Amino acid sequence: MAPLTSYFAFPEWLNMLTALLIGTGFGFALEQGGFSSSRKLAGMFYGYDATVLKVFFTAAIVALIGSQFLGYLGLLNLNQVYVNEFYVTASIVGGVIMGAGFIMGGFCPGTGLCAMSIGKIDAMVFVAGGFTGAFIFTETYPLVEGLANARYRGPVKINETLGLSPGLFTLLMVAAAVAMFWIAELAEKKFARPEITNDL
Amino acid sequence: MKIRKELSVLLLLLSLVLALLPISANRSFTTNPDKLLSDVLSKDLSFTADQVAEFVVREDSTVQLIDLRPSEEFRKQSIPGAVSIPYAEFINKDPEIWLGNKNIRNIFYATGGMEADFALVYARGLGYDNSYVMEGGIGEWISTVIGTKFTGERITARENALFETRKRAGEMFAELNSLPDSLKTKYLESRKFSAKKLDGGCE
Repeated sequence: MAPLTSYFAFPEWLNMLTALLIGTGFGFALEQGGFSSSRKLAGMFYGYDATVLKVFFTAAIVALIGSQFLGYLGLLNLNQVYVNEFYVTASIVGGVIMGAGFIMGGFCPGTGLCAMSIGKIDAMVFVAGGFTGAFIFTETYPLVEGLANARYRGPVKINETLGLSPGLFTLLMVAAAVAMFWIAELAEKKFARPEITNDL
Repeated sequence: MKIRKELSVLLLLLSLVLALLPISANRSFTTNPDKLLSDVLSKDLSFTADQVAEFVVREDSTVQLIDLRPSEEFRKQSIPGAVSIPYAEFINKDPEIWLGNKNIRNIFYATGGMEADFALVYARGLGYDNSYVMEGGIGEWISTVIGTKFTGERITARENALFETRKRAGEMFAELNSLPDSLKTKYLESRKFSAKKLDGGCE
């Protein structure tokens, strides 16, 4: 958990407590949103349920707009916000593996843990599989090191690469998200399936 | 359905405001860490006190000395021709305004601690390959240039040239730092951001 401020150090337990509260809130929201059902995630792939897209993209654009405003008002130093490093090859290979896992398992890591905690057996197997994968990756790292580090681009940002200002990029992103939501809802109607979540 | 449309419009409006606000893009490191490390550890990126003294004496316009110490210390004592950019200010602003002119070699120096090296890594990480550092900081420069003494009967031509450079640089240093306060302010003001001004012209 990142420090909330750099002016003075919070005790470790307070950082941990904050992380616990945020995590609990996140898990609760996921459960209430119905994400502990594997149908939600699989539905995204088959087009009958785009809740995942809508929820996560809404979260992303709200955070995007919010952080830009906080940065502009001087309440958040965006220079100190961690930017993920971009490994082109690993992103593609990892994305394909992870996506296949999502469809087959019907969970993403977060919803998997969420479903596991309400006692779903498929989620327990899913999480065990995730840990096994992480273990195998770590143990065989020397073999895949070349692939994992190939075509390193550093912590690049899309707006920098495109030469756009952060604000303009935000606008384009929000417009794209709204368009996607609209298309997703059309798809939901087209590929609709009977609601069976409550019968399971 | 109505609430979704309202929320979409709200988010679009907020991001439209953002698009119109003058938010400066903060830039990120794009250099490969391994390459960056091997680059900054190599000797090629540092200048010795004597090399810097020569730039000072020649008033070399392809070189910009950047003093990273706090501005009070800079006012008290500085190398002739240097500009003051306190370290805290340097790492908090977009360095483009100082390092943007790629035809100029920027040489960082500080008290002799790690600040100049940090600045070098920072600048090079952001892609400013025209960044260098002076070995040892200002203390080293003063002791080399001002504290120079030649002993013995005969000196070689090379030693003589070195001595001349040090002597001249020392004189310039003494001249600048003994200026009355008002003149010094005037001089330093005139030098502020001179690196940026050179950037103009028809490009």
